Amino acid sequence: MWLQIVTYISFIFIIVASFIKVRRIAGQPLHLRWELYPVPHEEGREYGGSYLEKLNWWTKPRRRSFLGMLTFMMREVLWFEKCYRNNRGLWYFTYPFHIGLFLLGGWLLLLFLEAMAMILGVTESIAWVMTIHYLTLAAGAAGFALSTIGSIGLLVKRSIDANLRLYSSPTDYFNLGFILTIVLSGVCSWYFFDPVFASAREFMKSLITFGPVLTNPAMTVSIILLCLFMIYMPFTHMMHWVTKYFAYHRVCWDDAPNLAGNNIQNKLEELLNQPISWSGPHIQTGKKWKEVVAEES
Amino acid sequence: MKRTVNTKGIASNPNEQLLTIKPESLMPFPDRKEIDDNHSPKLLTKQQRNDYECSLDGFVALRMLKPKTREEENKLVQSFLEGLRKLLSKENNWTFLQPLLLSLDYCAKCQTCSEACPIYLASGRQEIYRPTYRSEVLRQIKEKYLDKRGKVLSKLTGNLIDLNWTTIARLAELSYRCTLCRRCAQICPIGIDNGLITREIRKLFSQEMGIAPKELHESGTVKQLRVGASTGLTPKALKDIIQFMEEEIEEKTGKKIRIPLDREGADILLIHNSGEFMSWPENPEAFAIIFEAAGLSWTLSSDLGGYEATNYGAWYDDVQLARIAYKQVEIARKLGVKKIVIGECGHAHKALTVTADRLLTREFNIPRESCMPLLEDIVLNGRNGVHLRRNDFLVTLHDPCNMVRLMGIVEPQRRILREISSRFREMEPHGVDNYCCGGGSGFAIMNSMNFPDWKTSIAGRMKVMQILETFEDALDPSIKKCVCTPCSNCKGQMRDLFDRYGLQERYNILYTGLAELIVNAMANE
Repeated sequence: MWLQIVTYISFIFIIVASFIKVRRIAGQPLHLRWELYPVPHEEGREYGGSYLEKLNWWTKPRRRSFLGMLTFMMREVLWFEKCYRNNRGLWYFTYPFHIGLFLLGGWLLLLFLEAMAMILGVTESIAWVMTIHYLTLAAGAAGFALSTIGSIGLLVKRSIDANLRLYSSPTDYFNLGFILTIVLSGVCSWYFFDPVFASAREFMKSLITFGPVLTNPAMTVSIILLCLFMIYMPFTHMMHWVTKYFAYHRVCWDDAPNLAGNNIQNKLEELLNQPISWSGPHIQTGKKWKEVVAEES
Repeated sequence: MKRTVNTKGIASNPNEQLLTIKPESLMPFPDRKEIDDNHSPKLLTKQQRNDYECSLDGFVALRMLKPKTREEENKLVQSFLEGLRKLLSKENNWTFLQPLLLSLDYCAKCQTCSEACPIYLASGRQEIYRPTYRSEVLRQIKEKYLDKRGKVLSKLTGNLIDLNWTTIARLAELSYRCTLCRRCAQICPIGIDNGLITREIRKLFSQEMGIAPKELHESGTVKQLRVGASTGLTPKALKDIIQFMEEEIEEKTGKKIRIPLDREGADILLIHNSGEFMSWPENPEAFAIIFEAAGLSWTLSSDLGGYEATNYGAWYDDVQLARIAYKQVEIARKLGVKKIVIGECGHAHKALTVTADRLLTREFNIPRESCMPLLEDIVLNGRNGVHLRRNDFLVTLHDPCNMVRLMGIVEPQRRILREISSRFREMEPHGVDNYCCGGGSGFAIMNSMNFPDWKTSIAGRMKVMQILETFEDALDPSIKKCVCTPCSNCKGQMRDLFDRYGLQERYNILYTGLAELIVNAMANE
């Protein structure tokens, strides 16, 4: 039972920590525009154009392409296109590493669905249950293989590539080593004790029913390490899987103009009413932003 | 052999240069040995070395005097830390806090950005010019001294930098070894922006410590707010220049044009970089010819600051940025124009149209646009009988980073060039992938001590290489070639690059603005 409790605690921890992180980032004040082209929702995205290319742009309707943005995001998430194009040597390892982790995430989700089916008494002969079963096998196998290759490759590359080594701290190696250890313990469990993930499925079922469960030693180690990792990750830069969204959507692609009647004006009024406390000789410390900018230095 | 400098090294050996650049270590110009003349940079005098901070790479952009006492040093260190605290607070840095934290806290240090940086590449991959180097220095100072992680955790997370005056002085200089072109940010897989971090470092130094290059602050924004223009151009001198321009237009074209000045109720207030009036008056003359031929309702302003589009605050200081933007729109408001059109100046485009967009509220939020769509409309739609024939010499286009990568104004200028030139060819890479001219973020106007040598030898090296590659098959001086450079600061840098590498003398390559080329096509009529 203790293993289920630890799993729940760590799972809740990472959900709450991620939520706090998102709230903290999203709650930061409106910033000045700092977009970077190409912006994929713009009409001229193929060559990096913006609405500012149009004469009297403020009188023209703004067309934002959701599909353009989605296509860019999919290429980035599923193919790591920027890394593929600009850092191929790294891509050979970071791509399998990340895709492997995505697949393992999918594998856990599929195990959960299978466990639900078991609890609800849905028989394995039904087509969709069978499909999920085989998908679980495929996702688990591919996920373990790719993430193992990727994390070993990244560790080696970071150790021998002078460009990376010079900027790598002990924690960078530790993080990769940590993930590799989790994955390898999972691989051990799969290879030596649990070839069709039956125990993993049982453990997932026990998380729902709180019933007793028998795990093998490798699986126990893997679960404990994964739980520790879920508690550790929110304190590291590995949260870039969350922050990347903001870096793109809230900075690089945020080209929303400040037009009469939109919400930006009100937010700005509030921000410009804040006092400035910079100490530079050209700044009248203590005055409000809007007072300072209306004055000459 | 190249000495590898890690981030920890920035704090040590204050009396030695962190980097000494040797001409032979720079990116070579393949097949063009004649221009790579092993030019050795100008060395500082003994007096200058004694007085000024130059321990980064032996070049001086900031003219920072060395502190005389330990107390003075400590005070500066404390002031830096205080500034860093403010940089990371909502109250003091609402303008860029979110982008800064996203870039500062989540870099995966994959170094993908390095190969995108023209300065890093042109320098022969010198470690201190790597886009992540200065960001990593700031990140480590923040984590070690503000987050207070303790000795063990600091070691484990690689925060090994000691904060002393040497660290700060070198970091300050280092923030002026990047043109803020943001090519690095464009290719970062997770959206980290080392260009932004560089600007934030500059901002900390300016807004908290009063440290900024003289050309940007004292002789730049401060002068612009007091005198009217960073070039020192006064309203009276402007009127004299306009009279001269009218005479020159008549002399060159036979057309008698009265350039409208302070015309209330005009549709358009056209603001040029005042450097155009001083150094390239043919550019505002060309605008006047085109606008008059197109029958536009427009005016220039002679109000204090109304004839200066530049906003150097865009490169180092949010407060100065906001002050200048307010002043510019205030003048447009007084004139009662319908919109402000910005002449050929890249950073002025971005500062007033994009960056200041979230500073100008209510009555100050007057529509502002680039001159490019307007010129395109005139040229392509043959407005009011502006018909053109094609220039028949080779033309390529330099893309100003601010206008293109940072604003997405890419095609109008190309459509114009395809229309007015029968021999237009692109540089590679171009458009939003372009390389900076090396004069970005203020470098074009910064001429402190031996800094001009750095900006032509290193910052502008990639652009020279690109120009030569573009005209590779036509370098024979009997073939006339032109680099269309629709940005005043880029033109300033081109002037220095062309001088340094002899591009006109050796290869008959010229540079000019876009409006001049349009008028040249009109004159062919």
